[in-house]
Amino acid sequence: MTALVRFRLAGFLRTGRALAPVMAGLLTLGILYGGGRAQPAEAYGVSAVVLFPVLAWQTKILLDVEPDVQRRLALVAVGPAREQAAGLVAAVVAGLGLVAVALVFPWLVGGVAGPSLPGDLSVPAGVALGLWAHLLALPAAVALGALASRVITRSAGYGVAVLTLGTVGVLALGFSGAVAPWLAPPLLPTARALVGPLPGSTALLLTVWALAWAAVVLTGYARVRTRRA
Amino acid sequence: MWLEDIGLRYHRRGPWVLRQVTARVAAGEAVVVRGRNGAGKSTLLQLAAGVLRPSRGRVLDRPAVVGWVPERFPADQPFTVDGYLAAMARIASLSPATTERTVQRWVDRLGLGPFRTVRLAQLSKGTAQKVGLAQAVLRPPGLLVLDEPWEGLDAAARELVPQVIDEVLADGGSVLVSDHRGETVRLPGAREWSVADGAVVERAPSGEAAVAVVELEVPVGQLPTTVARLRAEGHHILRVRGPGAPPEATGPGAESASEVAR
Repeated sequence: MTALVRFRLAGFLRTGRALAPVMAGLLTLGILYGGGRAQPAEAYGVSAVVLFPVLAWQTKILLDVEPDVQRRLALVAVGPAREQAAGLVAAVVAGLGLVAVALVFPWLVGGVAGPSLPGDLSVPAGVALGLWAHLLALPAAVALGALASRVITRSAGYGVAVLTLGTVGVLALGFSGAVAPWLAPPLLPTARALVGPLPGSTALLLTVWALAWAAVVLTGYARVRTRRA
Repeated sequence: MWLEDIGLRYHRRGPWVLRQVTARVAAGEAVVVRGRNGAGKSTLLQLAAGVLRPSRGRVLDRPAVVGWVPERFPADQPFTVDGYLAAMARIASLSPATTERTVQRWVDRLGLGPFRTVRLAQLSKGTAQKVGLAQAVLRPPGLLVLDEPWEGLDAAARELVPQVIDEVLADGGSVLVSDHRGETVRLPGAREWSVADGAVVERAPSGEAAVAVVELEVPVGQLPTTVARLRAEGHHILRVRGPGAPPEATGPGAESASEVAR
């Protein structure tokens, strides 16, 4: 399976189509950190929200770069379960690259500052919470991107619709007091939780919520894939 | 491998492309799949290869290693011939050392040498088709499925396809091959399936039902024993012709030097 993951990452990186989501990510981060200095944890919470659609879009591009027949050849070689898993793992690896950029970027442009007031988190603690926030966004984004990929949606229009719907859902259902907030991954709740001190129970709830959301969506992806090679 | 009561439709409420197909391919057996355009040949082959899952019924005892040569090789990929074949070998779990040797062997055999560093997208259709054939046999398959493998191939490569098929059969593998241009005369002894109206019908194996006439030259002295031996082996003697005998003379006792056996 590692060979297939590497093959797909190579296919994604060599076509140059990898450039589009990276540019979009940098642009978004540039706008986000253009306003001034913020505390790392708080800033990273917002960064994870704005990167969510970019990560989902990147996943869709990565999965769609491979021609349909080549995907079927891979399926014949490794079997359906590993073929699907390899695509998702490749998307996670590519996503981790973008997450790393998102974590480093604010320090390069002076978008975040170290602790200045009593009660501010230390820099390592802030970065760790930022990493956690991005790692919550990543599985959900990969799941949404997989659901928007060509093998499921079959047309570019439906693909974009799935991505848009997922992103709008994150924002529309993410405000406190929203009806049925669990229909969306908890990106805005995570961002809100990172503004003040973060209780362990809240962190655990958000983690379980994000992973469960991704698991449900990925189950849907796998079920549709049993009928669509 | 068994196809057991298989039905397939592409959409939940769509028409059945195949229905109630039951068929068997034994180890060491080749099957030619025929049918008109759109009859479901490719669908049947993809079901056998495991690309498609049947909507109904099941495929039993599919060999672990399957090679599939698609009708059109997906050349729109950012890899060179060498890079692609090496990657496919690794995906098929060959070790790095074996990968290098195997890719080298198939590149040589298929005459892909001059194209090793050429990008897939720049290959001609026939050359791309050769890459499609190579990727299917990097790991010796227990089931080789070829969808119109002769399409676009040059004369030398056309001869190679039956050789590759024979090697798979000799190793105890099974082969399914579709063909609409009559190239499968190169596969004597293959069974023949005909796909029409969603059903698969086995046609009489061309290798056994078809007959050929062989003319032999035999020394006159050995004629009776030769004729007796051929008859004993189940051959049908059509006529025996001698140097002095009239052309229509028949029978094992005739003073003839040549005979026609069937």
